[in-house]
Amino acid sequence: MPGLVPGIHAFLLVKQARRGWPGQPGHDDTFCAANLSDDTDSMTTIRQIYDRVLEAIAVIMIVTVTGIVTVGFVYRGLGESLAWYDEVASVALVWLTYYAGALAALRGAHIGFAGFVNSLPAQWRVAAAAFSSAVTIFFFGLLTVVGIKVVGILGTDTLVSLPWVPLQLTESVIPIAGALFVIAEVLRLPELLAEAKRGPLADHELASALEHAKDTASLSGAKEIKP
Amino acid sequence: MSLSVVAMLLGMIGLVMLNVPIAVALGVVAVGAIWIMQGATMLPNVALVMYDGATSFPLLAVPLFVLAGGIMNASSIARRLINLATAILGFVRGGLSMVTVGSAMFFAEISGSAVADVAALGTLLIPAMKSRGYSKEFAAAVTSSSASLAIIIPPSIPMILYAAMAQESAVKIFVAGIIPGALGGIGLMALCYYYARKYDFPVEQRFNLCNLAKAAREAIWALVMPLIILGGIFGGFVTATEGAALAVIAALVIGVVIYRDLTVKALYQACVDSAIQTAVVMLLVAASALVGIFLTESQLPQKLAASILDVTTNPYFVLLILNVFFLIIGMFLHSAAAIILTVPIVLPLIHQVHIDPVHFGLILTLNLAIGQQTPPVASVLIASCSIAKADIWQVTKANLGFVGVLVGVLALCTYVPWLSLVLIHAFYGS
Repeated sequence: MPGLVPGIHAFLLVKQARRGWPGQPGHDDTFCAANLSDDTDSMTTIRQIYDRVLEAIAVIMIVTVTGIVTVGFVYRGLGESLAWYDEVASVALVWLTYYAGALAALRGAHIGFAGFVNSLPAQWRVAAAAFSSAVTIFFFGLLTVVGIKVVGILGTDTLVSLPWVPLQLTESVIPIAGALFVIAEVLRLPELLAEAKRGPLADHELASALEHAKDTASLSGAKEIKP
Repeated sequence: MSLSVVAMLLGMIGLVMLNVPIAVALGVVAVGAIWIMQGATMLPNVALVMYDGATSFPLLAVPLFVLAGGIMNASSIARRLINLATAILGFVRGGLSMVTVGSAMFFAEISGSAVADVAALGTLLIPAMKSRGYSKEFAAAVTSSSASLAIIIPPSIPMILYAAMAQESAVKIFVAGIIPGALGGIGLMALCYYYARKYDFPVEQRFNLCNLAKAAREAIWALVMPLIILGGIFGGFVTATEGAALAVIAALVIGVVIYRDLTVKALYQACVDSAIQTAVVMLLVAASALVGIFLTESQLPQKLAASILDVTTNPYFVLLILNVFFLIIGMFLHSAAAIILTVPIVLPLIHQVHIDPVHFGLILTLNLAIGQQTPPVASVLIASCSIAKADIWQVTKANLGFVGVLVGVLALCTYVPWLSLVLIHAFYGS
């Protein structure tokens, strides 16, 4: 049900818009705060579940890629190269790219340049964040639609090395992942807008690396290297 | 340059400035161009190109090296390497700063990501340096510059990306990085020693052969693994992609069986991070394929080459122009994005002035290493500043000398191609 989550979010946004945005004249901040808190909680829960599902798919895909390359390498070493190795490994890489890409979108990890937007006042930062999200949703929405058309056109075509695998299956990643990207972007939007309102947008790669480094330092016992 | 190409470039720059992810900006601009120039009926091509663009077989090495680095980062390997470097260099004045450089050079061979390196090493070494009287700005600067050196020491993700974009051998570009990487390491250590004499940094410990043997024993697998993998790749026994798979298996065996400190949770996390890092890079590659159609049709790379060749045909002058261009690009763009966006454009020029593409790949990578040290987009420097809790501009000032060393290595490698090509000629013939 790819349309369900954006639908819920659109409904929440409409509800919120009817009540008025915080800071608008006549806006009842207390009433809205209580209701918004419930809405935000449910969005956060949906987002967390979605994150876990995409995370599991991403792990399956990277393990699959590693497995395929390892098997291909072992067979080549044994002098019996696998005919399907190159083609299937490439397909697995595409699937990894798009399914893990949806997870990266949900976490705001795709490479961008936040320097200019971060130098703007808060209201302009929020507007730019909303625009960026809208453009991303448009692009992947379009990719979903044209992806469905392409999958339809492919008909009975199959992989060259494995004639029993239809191209409709391998290329289905584009429309499916396109829809997953759209859902990810919609689910991330409230947090992105809040972050843009609070201050400069964070660098995901940096935050993630520092978080893991702290875990590793405690695991390794940082004291031991102290001279 | 035709009006449509100018409009595409301006549209792309505008979208990127508004923080639209670069891959999406590329895609949207290409969709707009297809719609206007070829009509809406051609839009399904977008899906086909976005699929084909990500089917690059040589790029299979990216997720595997990143995963191997992630697994290594999650184990105690950083501590073991630092202990070994301390046992080797700790007796020299300012030894701890040299340990930082030495550890980064060891670590570079395993991780392939400068931000991950600076986070893994900096969390351990920056507090240690601060506690020994080094200023936090100096500690952050030396850690940051050392980690950037990582991207020219194999295995390197930017080098794999360049190889795929330029259709060159990743292995040859790896080999090209060995001597410049070693030169950079020696240069950074020499500067550390100069600062140590100037600011009277302490000696860590007396040289002790027993300590060295103990540290070497503890770190032996961390040292042997890159030797086996790189030896296999350079010796032609395995391809870069197979070497990357070998690295994952070796990292798993060392973490789970030998060191026994790799938890299931950490392994799962390493898989997630590697998948995300791969997807981020590969989506850019796929989207750049869309723009590639228009680059081919508009012949922009050929026109750019012709206009530069009107000014000069001297390869060294062309390299000077490109160095300035890439140093500026590196200040604003992530290294992966810079490679994916610029390599298809400048490659015809490189071929026309007869610059060896492998030599150019190394120069490009060095430029991007320096770009990681120059704000506003300086992910490695910012990571280092975050760990040291130091002001980015103060660290930038302290970092000038180290960046100077990297620029010196860049100048040497640019104008003495022998440095990057001699090992390739020795291993593979000219």
